[in-house]
Amino acid sequence: MTDPHVAAVGASPLGRTDLTGRDLFSVAVTEAFEGLPDPADIVDAIYVGNQSESYEHQIMYGTLLAEWAGLRHVPAERVEGCAAAGALALRHAVEDVRSGRRDAVLACGVEKMTAGGTAGATDALSAAFDRVTEQRSGVTAPSQYALLAQRYLHETDATERDLAHIAVKNHENAAANPRAMFRRETDVESVLDSDYVAPPLKLFDCAPVTDGAAVVLVASEDVTASLPVDDSVRVTGVGAGANNLAVADRNLTFVEGAHEVATQAYDEAGIDAADVDVAEVHDAFTVCEALLAEAAGLAPRGTGYESALAPDERSSGWTDVHLNTSGGLKARGHPVGATGIVQAVEAYEQLTASATPDRQVDDADTALLINEGGVADAVTVAHVLSAA
Amino acid sequence: MSDDTNTTDAGDSTDADTDASAPDEYATAPRAPEELTPDSPFTLPGFFDALADGRLLAAACDDCGTRLVPPRPACYDCGGRDLRIERQPETGEVVSYTEVRTPPPALADRAPYTIAIVELDSGARLTGRLTASYDDTEIGLPVELSVRELDADEREMALTYEREWPIHEFDPA
Repeated sequence: MTDPHVAAVGASPLGRTDLTGRDLFSVAVTEAFEGLPDPADIVDAIYVGNQSESYEHQIMYGTLLAEWAGLRHVPAERVEGCAAAGALALRHAVEDVRSGRRDAVLACGVEKMTAGGTAGATDALSAAFDRVTEQRSGVTAPSQYALLAQRYLHETDATERDLAHIAVKNHENAAANPRAMFRRETDVESVLDSDYVAPPLKLFDCAPVTDGAAVVLVASEDVTASLPVDDSVRVTGVGAGANNLAVADRNLTFVEGAHEVATQAYDEAGIDAADVDVAEVHDAFTVCEALLAEAAGLAPRGTGYESALAPDERSSGWTDVHLNTSGGLKARGHPVGATGIVQAVEAYEQLTASATPDRQVDDADTALLINEGGVADAVTVAHVLSAA
Repeated sequence: MSDDTNTTDAGDSTDADTDASAPDEYATAPRAPEELTPDSPFTLPGFFDALADGRLLAAACDDCGTRLVPPRPACYDCGGRDLRIERQPETGEVVSYTEVRTPPPALADRAPYTIAIVELDSGARLTGRLTASYDDTEIGLPVELSVRELDADEREMALTYEREWPIHEFDPA
């Protein structure tokens, strides 16, 4: 068995657009296949991460995007797992190629979130919560994560100001990322002055509602070698797992699901947390970056909120990882079903040293991706990618 | 793997529900498909029938002590299927809380409202609305469970089969 390679990547612009989901995919797949043979000459299967049919009243996104890529009579599936749909699609592609069953698979994600405005997105996202206790009580995505944040601030030394620093750091990274939705910096006071959405979380603690699509071509070593690409990265570890759907049933301050899947992915890759140079973790809200740094073993328990500090300023026991160099969900944007694929695009650019100079991490060899769906670890997927 | 979420050593929850309205045939987890009728509290219609009578039911795991709300056929914590229906105590305390300021469209007129995760005295935890303002709430606040019929806006949000299902809330104790 050889490691699958990410041989090519593409993404649409992220943000509000007049383009529909399929159009956004057209942009992404056109970028990914620039200079390559036709997808139909290479691709054996396609998986599409997509959160909700309520935005565009469209399911069957596997079939639709296969067609838009010029593919017919290949396995094609929409993968659903709320915001983890993208990484679940990537995982399917990786497992197919690993097993030798397929030589090249497209892992995609697409979401047209702005179609129904804020109310539409609030309603569509609420479908990810347990219907019996959570949805009926009127919880929303920000309020679910606020329950985690409130408890985290209660149990640790973290403050709202610490969370604001995470937002500021991710805006700074996004300002250096041409793919980002918010290519502008902000400051701690602006974050702290923004309105509460669900206290202790404020507007600037929240990832935005985003339209976008992304594509990665996962291929065997042989197929990758046959393609006219300058570079590729290897997928060396995968982990995936579900935890309880209802937030109340879970540990609120230790994201067990993320800990489990990161450990699986490290074991498969034969690495430790300390080997990770860059990590894209699912910062749907600022507190998530702190929680996931701890769950993935990048930070000691109760210190994840230091993620915005320079590595030499963090508590002892932190690794020197660079977190969310893309700007994260917070500032790069969060097209829900596509986010896991957008994370992989950033890892590809970091590991092939093709990121813009202002955000490129020197000698980045190993990347960790953590993509969550539902609230926090209702379902979590981790990937470890390594420079080829 | 087993953790201590939804469990307690105190064991001070009400005994297995022996009310006449919850026949014994439904008191333990289903082992045959025909047991899963709408009368069984291991299904949602049965769970909400009991809730409408003011009884919040959990499935208590004999193997690890976890309380599962609503009841279901297997314990997520240890994987066991030796479960008993158990009426939950109505008192508990706030574990975490927030305030919804941007509500789902159907509840627009109700916002802002307080949401809490409550741990009942049995160790069972569940999310619900809290009838206290955000400013009057804190972690550790003692609360009591209350159950009522849906208001008009909640009925609008409900699916047809959910309209007669009552809603649970928490009041400061």
